[in-house]
Amino acid sequence: MTFSIIARCPHSGRLGLGIATFSIGAGGRCEGILAGVGICKTQAYTNRGNDPLAIELLAQGHNPAHVMKMLEHNDPDHAYRQIGIIDREGNGVAHTGSGTRPWSGHKIGKGYVAFGNVLAGPQVIEAIAAGFMAKPESALEFRILAALEAGRNSGGQVGAQGHLTERSAAIRVVADPDYPDIDVRVDLHDDAIVELRRVLEEFKRYEVFYRDRGRDPSTAMTQDEFVATLERSA
Amino acid sequence: MTYTVLGRCHRTGRLGIGIATFSITVGRYCYGVKSNAGVTVSQAFANERNNALALRLLTQGFTARSVLQQLMENDPYADYRQIGVIDRSGMAVAHTGPHTRGWSGHVVGENHVAFGNGLVGPEVAAAIAKGFLAEPDADLEHRLLMGIEAGRDAGGQGTREQHKAERSAALRVYSTDTFADIDLRVDLHATAVEELRRVWTEYKQYEAYYRDRERNPSGATGQEEFMKTLRAAEA
Repeated sequence: MTFSIIARCPHSGRLGLGIATFSIGAGGRCEGILAGVGICKTQAYTNRGNDPLAIELLAQGHNPAHVMKMLEHNDPDHAYRQIGIIDREGNGVAHTGSGTRPWSGHKIGKGYVAFGNVLAGPQVIEAIAAGFMAKPESALEFRILAALEAGRNSGGQVGAQGHLTERSAAIRVVADPDYPDIDVRVDLHDDAIVELRRVLEEFKRYEVFYRDRGRDPSTAMTQDEFVATLERSA
Repeated sequence: MTYTVLGRCHRTGRLGIGIATFSITVGRYCYGVKSNAGVTVSQAFANERNNALALRLLTQGFTARSVLQQLMENDPYADYRQIGVIDRSGMAVAHTGPHTRGWSGHVVGENHVAFGNGLVGPEVAAAIAKGFLAEPDADLEHRLLMGIEAGRDAGGQGTREQHKAERSAALRVYSTDTFADIDLRVDLHATAVEELRRVWTEYKQYEAYYRDRERNPSGATGQEEFMKTLRAAEA
């Protein structure tokens, strides 16, 4: 019961991941993303070791298909995992194990993988892909958010007892190996994708201020002063 | 304007961060923790490269004291930074630059650093350390959260006239794995420390279930089934 997208921005080379799920704290299980290397996200009955291992393998130079094969050989429960991998060039592969709960599946496109399990049906994955492709010139974080919103709007997660809400969601975008570019999370909420949009939009107002005060503190205004400028412009 | 506790569990060697601040999405500054290496946070006017550099140096085997010295020598704005570092042996050090704002300072002891800036006064850092040390044999994540809550209860950020809200908070703990053991965040909330406690309390009910279904998927029940057992236990 999760839907996700991993993607590369064709303009900037930035790598990004978006996820929404019924489980709590999904953003805390997204270690597999590294600028200039690639992304790996394992879900369904996840194997937490997969993502850090896959990043090491991608960094060593293995291609995504070969990394997937190595993950398979390393895991007796590979059939229960759902895994998406893309490399620094945007080449993607995916695996939806036969033991994942229905409906589960994936779609691999140019520069992205959309995938999920315990979903309303294949239309959710198609919607995620269409949402991501709707505005290809936009910043990667907003393309990813649009993809998650489209997945939700097409039915999202449906388990044995009916529709499941998104209780947690996260977006991470990286451009530099040392720190994330965009990193917003909602860990426990009744409507996590709605809340994620609120957090992302608020963060975007502060993004440049937060970056610049760290890079040149000697000329930085205080956050109180900055908040006042935001309020004046509102 | 931030207050933070870095801790190492003396029993297990687990390493973690508890943090609360007025700035939003503070969890994005909390990647400076790694199994069997150490834990570090740079704050105030944070140097965005410090945490990654410090972790590499800790992994290479430099002591916390040496790492802190190298970070400062590497940074023309060291006077604006506040930095805490604990290495895998439990050596803890901190730096509070003279140009950090408001009341700023740190309390350092074996296996812990309590530090902050833009605070009501020194009683906040003292309370964080005391909260962290109150139950020394409890789980590290519990102790870190106790530290942060004690900092809030001692007045937290702002001045004695005007309290400044905690809008974001985070809790991260690493054990022996290549991934986080505990990783919880509140990114934008009117009372982020209270919300972090709520998320933590809820997450703790699921923690063992989430872990076990990963390790033994063929025998796992669905999350909806698991939640029925939670509700039955509450009833």
